[in-house]
Amino acid sequence: MKRIFDTQLIGPFAAMVIAALIVAMTTDRFLNPGNLSNLSLQVSIVALIAIGSTIVIFAAGIDLSSGSMVALLTMILAQMLKFADMPLMLALPLILVVGGLLGLFLGLITAYGRIPSFITTLAALIAFRGLALTFNNGSPIFSLDPALEPIFYGKLFGVPLPFFYLVFFYALAAFMMNYTKLGREIYAVGGNPAAAVLTGINVRKVQTTTFVIAGFMTALGAVLMSARLNSGSPNYGQTLELQAIAAAVVGGASLAGGRGNILATLMGAMTIVIVQNGLNLNAAPSSVQNIVLGLIILLAVGIDMWRAEISALMGRLLGRSPMKPSSKEKRDA
Amino acid sequence: MTTATPLWEFVDITKAYPGVLANDKVCIKLLPGSIHGLLGENGCGKSTMIKTLSGVQQPDSGQILYNGQQVTISDPQVARDLGIATVFQEFSIVPTLSVGENIFLGNMPRSRFGVIDWGRVQDEAARVLAEMDVDISPDAITGTLSVGEQQLVEIAKAIAIDARMIILDEPTAALGEDEIERLHQLLRKMRSRGTAILYVSHRLDEVERIVDEVTILRGGRVVRASGETEINVSEIVSAMVGEDIGEHYPKEQNATPDVVLEAQGLSTNSGVSDVSLMLHKGEVLGLGGVLGSGRTEIARALFGTDELSSGQIILSGKPVRFRSEIDAIRAGLALVPENRKYDGLFFNFRASGNITASSLGSLSRYGVLNLRAEEQATRELIEDLEISTQAEEKTVNFLSGGNQQKIVIARWLFSDSDILILDEPTQGIDIGAKIAVYKLINKLTRAGKSIILISSDHDELLAMSDRISIVQHGTIVRTVAASNLTHDDLVRASADVPQRNIEEVFA
Repeated sequence: MKRIFDTQLIGPFAAMVIAALIVAMTTDRFLNPGNLSNLSLQVSIVALIAIGSTIVIFAAGIDLSSGSMVALLTMILAQMLKFADMPLMLALPLILVVGGLLGLFLGLITAYGRIPSFITTLAALIAFRGLALTFNNGSPIFSLDPALEPIFYGKLFGVPLPFFYLVFFYALAAFMMNYTKLGREIYAVGGNPAAAVLTGINVRKVQTTTFVIAGFMTALGAVLMSARLNSGSPNYGQTLELQAIAAAVVGGASLAGGRGNILATLMGAMTIVIVQNGLNLNAAPSSVQNIVLGLIILLAVGIDMWRAEISALMGRLLGRSPMKPSSKEKRDA
Repeated sequence: MTTATPLWEFVDITKAYPGVLANDKVCIKLLPGSIHGLLGENGCGKSTMIKTLSGVQQPDSGQILYNGQQVTISDPQVARDLGIATVFQEFSIVPTLSVGENIFLGNMPRSRFGVIDWGRVQDEAARVLAEMDVDISPDAITGTLSVGEQQLVEIAKAIAIDARMIILDEPTAALGEDEIERLHQLLRKMRSRGTAILYVSHRLDEVERIVDEVTILRGGRVVRASGETEINVSEIVSAMVGEDIGEHYPKEQNATPDVVLEAQGLSTNSGVSDVSLMLHKGEVLGLGGVLGSGRTEIARALFGTDELSSGQIILSGKPVRFRSEIDAIRAGLALVPENRKYDGLFFNFRASGNITASSLGSLSRYGVLNLRAEEQATRELIEDLEISTQAEEKTVNFLSGGNQQKIVIARWLFSDSDILILDEPTQGIDIGAKIAVYKLINKLTRAGKSIILISSDHDELLAMSDRISIVQHGTIVRTVAASNLTHDDLVRASADVPQRNIEEVFA
C-alpha cells in the first residue's frame, strides 16, 4: 500500500502550482488575500463532493448522480426549513442522513442488483432532477433561515469556515483510505474484484459503502450550496458531478479503479478552480472557461498515459538514454 | 539434419532494455522441416527474442538472414510477408467473430469491388481447417470454442498465410492432454511439409516428445546451442537453471491419519455430480483429469463459490455450510485460483497488500490497520519464500510469474489457512519457481496444513500428491495412492480409456 504523501501527489501538486504561477503572472489580483479566501469558498463545494466521487472511482465505480442529488437535497432542506418549520439543528443532520440513504439506495441497486454504476447513477442523475422539481411546484425556495448563511460565509481566525471543512474531511478521507481496513478493501475491490471475492472481501458491501460515503459527501455539498445562497433550487448543481469527476481525474485517479490518492483529488479540484478563477479575473467569457476545463482534463490524463513517450522525448532532447517507462499498463514480459 | 541449409539464421542478436541486456549475441538457426525448442527460465530473454523475430521490436545489433540473404523485419506486417507467423501466449483472436473471420482477420479476401468476399472466406477457411484435420466449422463463433480449439484457430491463421516459419509461445499452457496430442500431430504434419517451427514451452516432458533441436537461453545468452544438447530433460533443466538442482520433485511425506475435510455426495448445477472425498491432515490430495473434467468446479463447490444442490461438507467432524467464499475462508479454507492474473493478484498493490488481503480483520483494531505489523510480516515472508525483494517497493505487475505465484500462496500462509486448494499452481512459471512452489507445499504440509492439488502436469501431480483422485465428467471415479500410479496410468485414467488393474485405496 501507499503512504498518504507519496509520489502520486507530485504530478497533481506540480500541476496546481504551475496553474497558480501562470494565473499569478497574468493578474496581480490573484494573490490578493481576498481572492485567495474566495478561492477556498469556490472550491469547497466541488472538492467536498469530489471526495465521494473519488472513493466510488477507487472501487471501480462512477457516480454521475451528485449534481442532481444536490438539487434534490437543497429542495428537501428548504422544504423542511421553510414550510415544516424544522429547527436548523434538526434539519441539518437529517439532510445528511437523507444523502447517505440515497447513496445506500444507489449502492444497493448497483452492487446487489448487478446494474453497472454508470447506468444506476445516470438514471439517478435524470430522476433526482425530476424529483427536485416536484417540490414547491418546481420553483426555488428563498430566504430559508438566517442562521444558515454563516455555515458558508463564517470565519474562524479570519479564515473562511469551508477551508476547515476541507481540511477536516480530506484528512479523514486520507486516513480512511490509507490506514483502515475499509480503505484497503476499497482499493482491493477496485483493483481486482474477482480476486477480492476469492480473498474473502465482501465486495458488494464495500461497493455499497462507497456510494453511502458519496451520498453523505453530496449532502454536505448541498448544505453548503443552500447556505451560500440561503435557498434551495431544482436548478442547483448542474454539471457538478462532472466537475467532481474531473477533479478526481486531474488528480490522477484511474477510472479503472484501484489506483489514486484522495489528496490528489483536492489538488485536482484546486487546479480547476484556480484556472477558472484566473479566467474570471481576466474577464474571459464562460464559453472559454468550459473549453479550457475540457483541455485540462485531456492534458491531465494524457500526461499520465504518455508518460513513457514523454520521458523518451525528454531523454532525446537532453541527449540522455530514455528513462524506464513506468506506465501503469506495463507488465513484465 | 544439421547439414541442411537453414531457412532462417539469426546471428548475434543483441537487444538491451534500460538496465538489462535481454539478448546478448543470440544465434539461432532454423531449418526447414524441423521443430526447434527455445527454452529457458522466465526472464532469460525468450520473449525478447520472439518479439524480435516477429517484428514487434528491432534488435540493437545483429543480422537476420532469410535463405542466406540479409533482411530486416521492421514490423509485424513485414514478418507476415516473409512467411513468419507467431502464435503468442495470449491469443490474438476476437472471441465475438466467427472462426473464418478470425482466420482472415486483417487479411480478408476482397472481391473486385473492394468488399469482403464472404464466399472465399468460407471456402478458404474450410480448406485450411480440413487440411489441419480439424473438425471446426468456419461459421462457429470463436468464443464458444474450447481453449484448445481456439489455439487451433490461431494456428489456422498461420497456415492461411502460408507461413514457412511458425513461432509458438507456450502453445500448450491452457490445453488438456488430448488437445496437446492433437496439436503435436498437427505440428508433425507441418514439419513434414518443410515448415520451420520455433517451439517455446515450460513443459519439458513435451519438449522431449516433439522437439528436434533445442537452444537454451540463460541471462540473455545462449548456454546450449542447437545440436549440442541431447534432448534429455535433466540435462536441459541443469542447463536452464545453471546448476545441478538435484531432486526435481522434492516430495515430503507429511500425511497423518486425521481427517480434516470430508465431502459427501457433493453436486452442483455447474457440473459437479456426487463427489465424495476425504482429506487428511498434512496430506496432498491430487485431482487428476483432463481439462474440463470438472476439477475446478469441485474446487469451487468446496469453496462456497458454487451453491451445492446436494451433499454435505464436513470439516474436522462438524458439518458445515458455506454460503459464500467468505464463510469458507473463515472456516480455514483457501483457494489459489488457476488464473493468478485475473483471479488472484491485485496489480495495484505491492507484495504487502496482496499478502494481507485475506487477513485484514486480524491485522486491524477498530478497523484501523497495523501497517507496521503488515510490513514486518511481509518482509519475513519475502525472505522466507525467497521472493524478489523488489516486491516490497513495487506493485506486483513488475514481478515474474514465479514471484507472483509465491505471493498468492503467501497470502494463505499469512492467514494461516488449514486447507489450501491449489489450482494449477505452477502453470506458466519456470522450473526454478516450480521447485520453490513444491518446497512451499512441503512446508505447508509439514506445518499440518492439507492441500488439494489440481494440476495438468502429470509428472508433477504424481510426484507431489500422496493420493490422487481421478476426475471424469464432474465426478471422482477412483482414488489411488500416487505411488501406485504411473504417468501412463494417469493419462489413460484421465482420458477415460480402459484401465490396467490398479488397486484402489479407500482411506
